[in-house]
Amino acid sequence: MTKKFIGQRIIRNEDPKLLTGQAQFVDDVEIPGMLHAAFLRSDYAHARLVSIDVSAARQRPGVVAVFTAEDMGADWQPGPPLVSPPPTAKDVIFYSRRQVPLVKDKVRHAGEAIAVVIAESRYIAEDAVEDIVVDLEQLEAVVDLEKAMQAGSPLVHDDLDSNLAAHLFQKKGDYEDAKSKADLVIKRRIVIDRGAASAMENRGIVADWDAKSQHLTIWDTTQAPIPIRNGTAARLGLSEHQVRVIAPFIGGGFGPKMMMFYAEELVIPWASKKLKRPVKWIEDRRENFYATTQERGQIHVVEIAFTKDGHILGLKDVFLHDTGAYDPYGLTIPLNTQCHAMGGYDVKNFSTEVSVVFTNKTLVTPVRGAGRPQGIFIIERLLDIASKELGIDRIEIRKRNLIPPDAFPYEHHIIDQAFAPLILDTGNYWPVMAKALEMIGYDEFVKNEQPRLRKEGKYVGIGIAPFIESTGVGPYEGARVTVEASGKISVATGIGTQGQGHFTAFAQIVAEQVGVAVKDVRIVTGDTTEFHWGTGTFASRGAVVAGNAMHAASSIVRKKILELASKVLETPVDELELDDGMVRVADIPTKSISLGELAVLANPLRGAVQPGTEPGLEATAYFGPQYGATAFGTHAMILEVDPETMMIKIRKYVTVEDCGTVLNPLILEGQIHGGVSMGVGNAYYEQLHFDENGQLLNASFADYLIPSATEMPRIDVGHIETRSSLNELGTKGVGEAGTIPVPALFAQALENALYDRELEILKMPLSPNGLFELLNKEKSQ
Amino acid sequence: MKIEGDYTFDGPREDVWKLVRDPEVLATCLPGTQSLRLVGENEYEGEVNVHIGPIAGVFSGRLVISNEVPPESCTLTGEGKGKPGFVNGTGNVQLLDQGDNKTLMKYEGEVQIGGRLASVGQRMIDTVSKSMIRQGLGTLNDAIKARVVARAESKEVEYTPPSETEFAAAVAKDVAGGLFSSKFFLWLALAVIMIIMAVIIWFRFG
Repeated sequence: MTKKFIGQRIIRNEDPKLLTGQAQFVDDVEIPGMLHAAFLRSDYAHARLVSIDVSAARQRPGVVAVFTAEDMGADWQPGPPLVSPPPTAKDVIFYSRRQVPLVKDKVRHAGEAIAVVIAESRYIAEDAVEDIVVDLEQLEAVVDLEKAMQAGSPLVHDDLDSNLAAHLFQKKGDYEDAKSKADLVIKRRIVIDRGAASAMENRGIVADWDAKSQHLTIWDTTQAPIPIRNGTAARLGLSEHQVRVIAPFIGGGFGPKMMMFYAEELVIPWASKKLKRPVKWIEDRRENFYATTQERGQIHVVEIAFTKDGHILGLKDVFLHDTGAYDPYGLTIPLNTQCHAMGGYDVKNFSTEVSVVFTNKTLVTPVRGAGRPQGIFIIERLLDIASKELGIDRIEIRKRNLIPPDAFPYEHHIIDQAFAPLILDTGNYWPVMAKALEMIGYDEFVKNEQPRLRKEGKYVGIGIAPFIESTGVGPYEGARVTVEASGKISVATGIGTQGQGHFTAFAQIVAEQVGVAVKDVRIVTGDTTEFHWGTGTFASRGAVVAGNAMHAASSIVRKKILELASKVLETPVDELELDDGMVRVADIPTKSISLGELAVLANPLRGAVQPGTEPGLEATAYFGPQYGATAFGTHAMILEVDPETMMIKIRKYVTVEDCGTVLNPLILEGQIHGGVSMGVGNAYYEQLHFDENGQLLNASFADYLIPSATEMPRIDVGHIETRSSLNELGTKGVGEAGTIPVPALFAQALENALYDRELEILKMPLSPNGLFELLNKEKSQ
Repeated sequence: MKIEGDYTFDGPREDVWKLVRDPEVLATCLPGTQSLRLVGENEYEGEVNVHIGPIAGVFSGRLVISNEVPPESCTLTGEGKGKPGFVNGTGNVQLLDQGDNKTLMKYEGEVQIGGRLASVGQRMIDTVSKSMIRQGLGTLNDAIKARVVARAESKEVEYTPPSETEFAAAVAKDVAGGLFSSKFFLWLALAVIMIIMAVIIWFRFG
């Protein structure tokens, strides 16, 4: 079958709605009688709750209820563990400590919710929050990762012996043996600090318990509506069919909205049920800085062993990972770091040991990249250092170490984030890198342009960073495809959508099978009433897992369409054509029937039902990959640094992505552009500054800088397609690809630009200030 | 946050010492102060009304004076809590007699700030606090000068402390010099000023 829609640059079905302000977001939900919630949050990062007096708040006119942990009684339960510790790893230590609905005994991070006010309006609720008298006894805060692990450090969780949340050691081969044979061993300490996801839309939730129908409807900015439905039902003692969770249009997820069961998700539905009234809570930006999960804080001590001709013999990494005050997300992020610290290179000996650390800071859960940027930063930095020390060109040293195309599937003998053996399914890395070199004009730049610009006194540098991205992990997703009497197609899946273009990309997959126009496929995502089973949108898995479920379901529907048409048109299936919403006899185009007519016929009348008849041209199918598909790519950049101010200008930026089959290059490029922008923030602008007391010092967009249109360059995206062997469409994920290699790329390009300074970048994020300080520190040493 | 500096008063050391140990005088130096009470030996409690822009509420604090060596030096330990956040700190104040009715005050301390104050006001705290100290000490110095003059002329003390608005305006003007261009930053600066003023005055002059 020729590909009619898959791979086409089709304008997004959802855009007219979004661009004209007609799309429904959580805050658009208005229900008569709806109440509004505001939370009292701790100013302290670490404090004992001595007493709380809410009597004045309760008396404020317009306040309907004020709840504390005590008021929740037996319903006060920590959130569920989202990811268990790896059952397949040996000697793993994991202490599960999950976030609580409202603080009961001890505050563990600034911004943790202590009480909630439910009132007639948000204004009243906010005022009443100020009426609450809370006595918090401040405790010494645990902030620095290394200090947190020292004996005598204050404890985030008093029932534990230390701040160690988890410990995991993994190895492949024998690093020490490899090191003994090395010509060069490089050891470095690498620090990566925290950033925020900063979705344009903050979190929000509306819960509406209808006491008469005994039914709870929740609108939630979640990336995972089905787990929220299941968990809420369990917590409130309801059937899953009594709870409907709708994740409508969401203004960006980026991971933190996946973290199901935030305090507010635990409290608002409970309060609605208790009060028998709809309740709305919409997070404000300042709350978002404290109460929405963050990521990236890690400190690595890494060692790498090389032969003199630049071949990697082995890599050893011992690192600390900051999980914040609780660890509901298990080991997903550090496992990703471990699995990406070897990049796309043929590393035969690898030793990796992580200690996950509790701190008095906001919770850490995956943020776009989810541990991968840290891993890629490490290996790429080490290769850059080795390139200088060994005098081998940085492209050449990478080329020498890339996993060769005939080595796939390539097994790494460690476990991945899904606790499955880390296997890179398919890959052909060098062509992607070569294409990026060609697109950036590497040879011409290095030979002619850079020397010329340097003569003019300009500091221009080039960077090139390949990477891999584990994507499309299980367990599974499903889809239901239905031909309606109108001839249009209705599709539902369990995952939610946060701007990924699902309404178009999924429609393309379905339209290709059932022979209609893409605009005639109506997709419903993130409504648990529409689809009962699934997990969520995360780990760059939508297009892979839900996409292949779409493909499977629509393939079955196609078969049903053709079989029914074959009966009606009295023609064998293989003589039929399905296109433009019509089934035609190939040789006699006038002999045809529309999909709408077939759909009507497929809903049999009395007397027409034979045993085994299933009504409708409809099918539900599921897809669960054996393991995650590994995408890959290379980013390259030319940047100019002002040597006085350290402000930068990105002169050229290219990426080449290989994410298997491309469904829609337009959407793919949008994902890459957004991802790169996030990566540029991670590399040179965005850093959450906590002081030694755990106070976040830049909790506003006046101080926390996000790259805007003026900082972002034009990004050229190239594609190469190496189909995944793990699914029928051959797709791999690409949602995080834009972000992953950017810090590594920046470090390389900055060092290359400031060629006459002594500069070795071993930390991220940087900033103009940060780079200035780094240069002056190196100078003074 | 570390704070340190010095200031020369136009009065003899004994006068300066008396003044900074007088809660009534201190209260007038920080417009908006509702009360400053001696609750134990060398222990004060007080409330300051803060209401500027969206940062509004009562800021209540406690201050302990220790290591007192009149009229030379003392250590101040304080904590303040309120809707806009909290402030804790310890500081040392030293008064050095310079002769000729001049007294040099040296101060250094460590202040911990949290809540909305820290997260939204951080970028201004350093600059603003310096100006705050300058303005606050200036106000005190005016009071001392008034006393000195009154004593010399054997008259009643005639000194009117600046109003809440005047004070805030003076600091804002000082801080705004080349730093803040927009109204947004002006009110933010005002808010921070008011609160830090409370702390600093309590801490440095208790």
